[in-house]
Amino acid sequence: MRAATGTQIFYSIRPCTFVYLTLVVLSLVTWLTGQLGLSGLSISLIVLGLALIKGLLIGDYYMGLRGLTGVWRWAIIVWLVIPGALITWAFIKVQ
Amino acid sequence: MQYQSQAVAKPYFIAAIGLFVGQILFGLIMGLQYVIGDFLFPEIPFNVARMVHTNLLIVWILFGFMGAAYYLVPEESECELYSPKLALLMFWVFLIAGALTILGYLLVPYATLAEMTGNSLLPTMGREFLEQPTITKIGIVIVALAFLFNLGMTMLKGRKTVITLVLFIGLVGLAVFFLFSFFNPDNLVRDKLYWWFVVHLWVEGVWELILGAILAFVLIKTTGVDREVIEKWLYVIIALALITGIIGTGHHFFWIGLPGYWQWWGSIFSALEPLPFFMMTVFAFNMVNQRRRNHPNQAAVLWALGTSVMAFLGAGVWGFMHTLAPVNYYTHGTQITAAHGHMAFYGAYAMIVLTIISYAMPMLRGRKAANSGKSQILEMWSFWLMTVSMVFITLFLTAAGVLQVYTQRYTDNPQPFMAVQERLELFYWMREAAGVVFLIGLIIYIISFFAGSNEPEQA
Amino acid sequence: MNLSRPDNERTSKDAQYLQAATHDRIYPPGDLAIWVFILAELLVFAVFFSAYALTRANNAELFNTCQLTLDANAAFINTLALISSSYFVMRAVAAIREAKTQQCIQWLIAALAMGCVFLIIKSGEYVHHYQAGINLRTNLFYMFYLSLTFFHFMHVIMGMVILTAVTIKTRQGHYSAAEHTGVETGASYWHMVDIIWLILFPLVYIMR
Ligand code: HEM
Ligand code: HEM
Ligand SMILES: [Fe+2]
Repeated sequence: MRAATGTQIFYSIRPCTFVYLTLVVLSLVTWLTGQLGLSGLSISLIVLGLALIKGLLIGDYYMGLRGLTGVWRWAIIVWLVIPGALITWAFIKVQ
Repeated sequence: MQYQSQAVAKPYFIAAIGLFVGQILFGLIMGLQYVIGDFLFPEIPFNVARMVHTNLLIVWILFGFMGAAYYLVPEESECELYSPKLALLMFWVFLIAGALTILGYLLVPYATLAEMTGNSLLPTMGREFLEQPTITKIGIVIVALAFLFNLGMTMLKGRKTVITLVLFIGLVGLAVFFLFSFFNPDNLVRDKLYWWFVVHLWVEGVWELILGAILAFVLIKTTGVDREVIEKWLYVIIALALITGIIGTGHHFFWIGLPGYWQWWGSIFSALEPLPFFMMTVFAFNMVNQRRRNHPNQAAVLWALGTSVMAFLGAGVWGFMHTLAPVNYYTHGTQITAAHGHMAFYGAYAMIVLTIISYAMPMLRGRKAANSGKSQILEMWSFWLMTVSMVFITLFLTAAGVLQVYTQRYTDNPQPFMAVQERLELFYWMREAAGVVFLIGLIIYIISFFAGSNEPEQA
Repeated sequence: MNLSRPDNERTSKDAQYLQAATHDRIYPPGDLAIWVFILAELLVFAVFFSAYALTRANNAELFNTCQLTLDANAAFINTLALISSSYFVMRAVAAIREAKTQQCIQWLIAALAMGCVFLIIKSGEYVHHYQAGINLRTNLFYMFYLSLTFFHFMHVIMGMVILTAVTIKTRQGHYSAAEHTGVETGASYWHMVDIIWLILFPLVYIMR
C-alpha cells in the first residue's frame, strides 16, 4: 500500500516533520540576522534566498505540489521566482 | 416558458429595447455636435443630450436586469412569481417616471427642473449619471424595494440555487449602493468619493454578480452542462470580482484630494480587476465546448460568447490601459476614458441584457425554444454590426485619446484643449460614421423580431 | 480547464491508490476552484512585494531607518506560529486520510490556536504603532508596511474562518478517508497564508 508515487508522497508524515524543523531553523537564522544587525546586499540576498527555499518547501510538501505533472507543478515555483527576481534586482539597484 | 408569471419579463424587455434606440439617437446627436458645434442648438444643447444618452443607458440596462430577474427567478426557483401584478405595476411606475424625467431634461432648463422638483429640499442633482431629480431617485428606490421584495418572496417559497442567490445579492447591492446618490456633501472631495461608491461599485462590483448570474443561467440552459460545474465557476468569478473591485475603487481616488496611498492601493487592486473578466471568457467558451447538446437558439449562444469576450476587452483590457496611477495621471478624463466607457458598458452590460433577451424572448412570444432560422440569421447580423462598429468606435476614440494625451499633456509644449480638439476632428467624424453603422445594426436587430415570425423554429 | 475534477480522482481510496500507482497526478490537493483563487491572491501579493522592493530602491534611507522601528521579535514569534499551524494542518489532512476523525479535529484546533496567537501578537504591534501616531499617511515605508501586513492579517482571519468551517464539518462527520476534499481545500488556503508571510517577514522586517 505504501507505494512511493502520486498521492502517497503527500501522505507521509516524516518528511513533512523534517520540513517543519528545517523551516524553524531557517526562520531562526533569518531572525538572528536581524538581531545581529547584519545588513548589506549579500546578506539581504541570502535572507531572501532562505525565504524562497522555505516557500518552495511549503509548496512542495505541505501544498502537495511535489510529484505533480503538468502546469500546477510550477504554480508556487513561478510565484517565488518572479517576485524573487524583481526583489533581487531592486536590491541590487539601490546599492 | 415553464411558468406563467415569467411573462411579466416581456414588457421590461420591450421597454429596454425602446430606450436603447433613444440612447443611440442621442449618442449620434452628440457625436455630430462634437464636429458641428451648434448642431440642434439651442433646442438640444450638448449637456442635455449627454444627460439623456447616459441616463437612458442606465435606465434601459436596469429594465433589462429586472426583466432578466423576473424571467430567471421563477424558472430557477421552480415556482410562480410571488406577485406578477406588483411586477407589472412597478413596470409602469418605472416607465412613466423615467419618461417624465427625460421629458423634463428635454423641455425645461436643468435649473428650472431642479426648482420644479424641489431639489433644494434634498439636493442630489447635478452629478454625472445621477442627474435625476430627487423625486425620481426616490421613485427608483421604491421600485427597487418592491422588485426585491417580489423576488425575495419568490425565492423563499421555491428552490434556492446559487444562480438566484448571486443574482439577488447583486441586485440588493445595486439598490444599496444607489443610496449613496442621496449623499451630497458640500465638500467636493467627499461628494466625489460617494459618487464613485455608486458608479464604480456598481459596474465593477455588484453588477458583475448580476452579469455572472445571467451568463451562468443562459449557459446552463443552452449547453446542458452540469449545474455543479457552472456554479463553481460562478463562485470563483464573483469572489475575484469583489476582492479586486471593492478596493479597486481606489483607481478613481488618485487625483480628487484623497490621501496618496490610494495611488498604490488603487493601482494594485484595480490592475487585477481584469482577472474575473478573463475568467468569464474562459468560462463561457469552456462551457460551450463541453456542451451536452446543441441548443436551437444559436443566436443566444453567440450573444453569450460575445458578451464574455467584449466585456473582457472593454473592461479588462481597455480598463487596465489607464488604471495605473502614473498612466492615469496623463489619461484622466480624456477620450481614452470615453473609449473604455463605451466598450465596457456595451460589452458587459448592454450585451448581457441582449443575451438574456435573445434567449428568453422566443419563449415569451410563445415559441418552444428558438426563433426561425431567418430571424436568427438577421439577429446574428445585428450582433456583428453592432459589436464590430462598437469596436471601431472604441478604436477611433482611443486614437483620438492618445493624440489628445500627447499634444495636450505629454509633450514639452502642450497645446490648449480646444486647439487639440480641432486636430481630432477626423477621428470624431469616423466615430460618428461607426455610430451610424451601430444604429443600422440596432434597426436590423429590431427587424429580426418580426422577420420570419410565421416560419417554423430552427431545429 | 475543468474546475471540478474528474470523478476518478476522488471516488474511493482504493481508486485513488490505483490511480496514484498507474497515472500521474495532475491536480493539487483540494478543490481546483480554491487553487484558481489562491493563484489570484498570490498574484496580488507578488505585485505588492515587487512594488515594495522597487519603491525601496528609490527611498532606501527612509526604508532602512523606519524598518528599525519594527518589532522583529514579534514577527519572528509569529513566523513560528504560522509555520507550526501549517504543520498542524498538514497533520490534520494526514489524519483524515487514515480515517482518524478525532485526531484530525485536534490538529485543526491546534492550528486555529496558532492562528489566534498570530492575530494577538500582530494586533499588539498595531496598537503600538497607533499609539506612536503612525498611519498610512506617515510615509511610504509605513504605507507599505501597514498595507502589506494588514492585507495579510485579513487573510489570516479568512483562513481561520475556512478552517473553523472545516473543523465543524469534520466534527459532523462529513469527511472520510475516501472523501475529504473539503479538508484539503481549507489546508491549501491556509498554507498559502503561511507562504505569503514567509516572504513578507524577511522582506519587510529583516532585509536592509
Ligand atoms: C464592465 C465594467 C466596466 C464599466 C461599465 C466601466 C465603465 C467606466 C466608465 C463609464 C468610466 C467613466 C466614468 C466617468 O464618467 O468619469 C470609467 C472610468 C474608469 N474605468 Fe471603468 N468600467 C468598467 C471596468 C473597469 C475595469 C475592470 C477597470 C480597470 C482594470 C476600469 C478602469 C477605469 C478607470 C481607471 C477609469 C477612470 C478613467 C479616468 O481617470 O478618467 N474600468 N469606467
Ligand atoms: C452608437 C453611437 C454612439 C455615439 C455616437 C455615442 C457618443 C457619445 C458621446 C459623444 C458621449 C459624450 C462624451 C463626452 O462627454 O465628451 C458619450 C458618452 C457616453 N456613452 Fe455613448 N455613444 C454611442 C453609443 C453608446 C453605447 C452603445 C453605449 C453603451 C452601451 C454608450 C455609453 C456611453 C457612456 C457610458 C458615456 C459616458 C462616458 C464617460 O463618462 O466617459 N454610448 N457617448
Ligand atoms: Fe472604476
